[in-house]
Amino acid sequence: MAGSKEVKLNESKMVVPLNTWVLISNFKLAYTLLRRPDGTFNRHLAEFLDRKVPANVNPVDRVFSFDVIIDRENGLLNRVYRLSDTEGLPTMAELEKPLTSEIVPVIIFFHGGSFAHSSSNSAIYDTLCRRLVGICKAVVVSVNYRRAPENPYPSAYDDGWAALKWVNSRTWLQSQKDSKVHIYLAGDSSGGNIVHNVALRAVELGIEVLGNILLNPMFGGEMRTESEKRLDGKYFVTLQDRDWYWRAFLPEGEDRDHPACNPFGPKGISLDGIKFPKSLVVVAGLDLVQDWQLAYVEGLKRYGQEVKLLYLEQATIGFYLLPNNDNFYTVMAEISDFVNC
Amino acid sequence: MSPPDSSVTNSGSASSSSSSCAGKPPDHIDNLLAGAGYRVRSSDLRQVAQRLERLETVMVNAPSDLSSHLANDAVHYNPSDLASWVDSLLSELNPPPPAHADLPDFPDLSYADRTVDNTSAWVGEERRHVAAAQQGGIFPPPLTTTTVVMDEDSGIRLVHMLMTCAELVQRGEFSLAGALIDEMQLLLARVNSGCGIGKVAGYFVDALSRRLFTPQTAGLISSAHENEILYHHFYEACPYLKFAHFTANQAILEAFDGHECVHVIDFNLMHGLQWPALIQALALRPGGPPLLRLTGIGPPSPDGRDSLREVGVRLAELARSVNVRFAFGGVAASRLEDVKPWMLQVGPKEAVAVNSIMQLHRLLGSDPTRGSPINTVLGWIRNLNPKIVTVVEQEANHNQPEFLDRFTEALHYYSTMFDSLETYLSHPNKAFAEMYIQREICNVLCCDGLARVERHEPLAKWRVRLGGAGFRPLHLGSNAFKQASMLLTLFSAEGYCVEENEGCLTLGWHSRPLIAASAWQAVPEPSPPLNLISHRNQNNL
Repeated sequence: MAGSKEVKLNESKMVVPLNTWVLISNFKLAYTLLRRPDGTFNRHLAEFLDRKVPANVNPVDRVFSFDVIIDRENGLLNRVYRLSDTEGLPTMAELEKPLTSEIVPVIIFFHGGSFAHSSSNSAIYDTLCRRLVGICKAVVVSVNYRRAPENPYPSAYDDGWAALKWVNSRTWLQSQKDSKVHIYLAGDSSGGNIVHNVALRAVELGIEVLGNILLNPMFGGEMRTESEKRLDGKYFVTLQDRDWYWRAFLPEGEDRDHPACNPFGPKGISLDGIKFPKSLVVVAGLDLVQDWQLAYVEGLKRYGQEVKLLYLEQATIGFYLLPNNDNFYTVMAEISDFVNC
Repeated sequence: MSPPDSSVTNSGSASSSSSSCAGKPPDHIDNLLAGAGYRVRSSDLRQVAQRLERLETVMVNAPSDLSSHLANDAVHYNPSDLASWVDSLLSELNPPPPAHADLPDFPDLSYADRTVDNTSAWVGEERRHVAAAQQGGIFPPPLTTTTVVMDEDSGIRLVHMLMTCAELVQRGEFSLAGALIDEMQLLLARVNSGCGIGKVAGYFVDALSRRLFTPQTAGLISSAHENEILYHHFYEACPYLKFAHFTANQAILEAFDGHECVHVIDFNLMHGLQWPALIQALALRPGGPPLLRLTGIGPPSPDGRDSLREVGVRLAELARSVNVRFAFGGVAASRLEDVKPWMLQVGPKEAVAVNSIMQLHRLLGSDPTRGSPINTVLGWIRNLNPKIVTVVEQEANHNQPEFLDRFTEALHYYSTMFDSLETYLSHPNKAFAEMYIQREICNVLCCDGLARVERHEPLAKWRVRLGGAGFRPLHLGSNAFKQASMLLTLFSAEGYCVEENEGCLTLGWHSRPLIAASAWQAVPEPSPPLNLISHRNQNNL
């Protein structure tokens, strides 16, 4: 196991700005403390270390946010972000004021964290969602789904589905043009995986999703791919930790060819005859699971689904967390086009 | 081309040249990391990065129980201050010197040497894309709300009318406001005012009505005895006060470690609910309990009873039963600012803990002729040289000068609080607990001047105030956090959450913090500048 223990420290430092390196390395270190070898997770320490921000109905850069409990029993919370069009503070009645434009995209966002980390009120994701609102002129609904290992498959998908139903049934989120909610699903890492699986359910049960956005989505499989071997441990992520998170999320006794992990693998689900939403898949060239992400894109194409791949050569995981690199701006522009065409 | 935002072109120490060109003070914080919740000085970035690297190598090459020790036994403080968090981990691990020749070689050089040929790796991107998202300056404090899905249109209408009415009141248009109140009361009769938005609206309509029509008695003045009863019900019905007591006691216990004579000064004794747990914890202290003195401050009893002493006697009996030497003193004062330090009879060798549960904000209403009560009180607290000052306050901004601002903030805050009580559908204490909250609401909205005592201010403001008065924060750590979280899961409904906020702990309902607990120590020398970044060492008492 020499490959995984030897830490190639030089390489990641060369490709990301210093503050990004500090941020992601800090996460990497903290996360190492939280994963226990026996598969349990130090949730108290995780919540203590996670930097959170409250919702804020004071507009900041014209974006305000508020939390809504959509399922009291599960404690399922969504954080809604909108653009403020008035000068002052929105009142509680205005929080759910109907949209006035012809078409406003509503992006349901699933934060990353490999199914175990982060929340919708984590600072990094609150900041990201605010940026999405400003750039795409969209409403963003960030879902605080239940996490592994306490809540493994399919809890996150169930929560995503509940959020989708909730968004779809809000009259105040309908676009003026056709009195329908224009829904897009977006997510990074495990969030990207949730996007795919919620979209599957949406197609099956008849809720229209206009598009899927998958940022560095989390997929895998039993086989070790070339990119996994080549990049293991080099850019913040190791195969060992990927394996840990899949074991925490997948049902007991299942391996990584379970369709939740490997949607187009040996146990994959066919998309024949299904009109899947168009997809935008962003792959970072220094992400060790890129072979699985590329396989996902190929899988969609094989079933004749519309998909656009954005491959960013020198990007690492988490490049979209700080706006200090070209890839960030490229991706934001692509997302904006994708939801506004 | 403007110089880079951070000091990447020199070796990371006093970055005066580059940063003064950029017009920023030498210790300015990296904006982008601030947006992620971390406070790191740009000039410290390199050093933090080096230490992260060092930590990583140590952990990779260390036996697994070192990692497990860091995770399970070590206590973590203030994760926002990345530099000190990383340092604390390093000192916990106390890495041995490298034993093998093939361990990666750690340059103690700064990255500048390494990257001078590759400056784009560190510099170019930052220079080109300085974040516009967060400029310097202070945001208005976040105004947060957690709403229950409002399916009732009348609920929404009520809220709309409430806001309009509050605005009319602020503008002095009382007859219009009065008419609106009548309308709202009609609407309330039709809405389900037993729960949810209807219930909260009911209380707020009531408060507005009192302010307009019965201003003399609007403040719902009650006797000290009644207050105590309502307080007790509020204590039982929801976890806010229990959290306050528990967190403060944890911190006091730690502060008293190693001291044989300790003295707790409680700014609001009530029934002394906080103290049995501390007495028992002290009894179980390894090495035996100290001599414990408790001085309880409370309002004078009107009917000749000495209620303070009665509480003291009960606590003394408890202390005797667990073999803790105990002495009690009561100080009767109708207002905290009437207390003089000599009344507390603090001895010279005692370790003193000052405990203020939702009392400091009462000092913020000032009579211009009588100076500033808050500064006076903070001044004599400091002169007592306490080992610790525990402060718990409502996490809200209810002290704004404009009525409409107070009204809006209160509506958000108390909606969330009432929502948290909804889970206790048939709790026997619930009705009285709601009355307790109602009194707060009426005081915030109906009273002014000296009568308005519920002048809640958020943690950020208390930090500035206490820092300016010569106190520095003692960070509440992951231990206290974990125990508070565990207690919550045992005793309370789903939805309460404890959060860490730069060394302080907050308890909230569904991501909205409602109450904040913090701990402080007097700075020995004259008042420091208003820079509250504290270092780990200050936690070693």
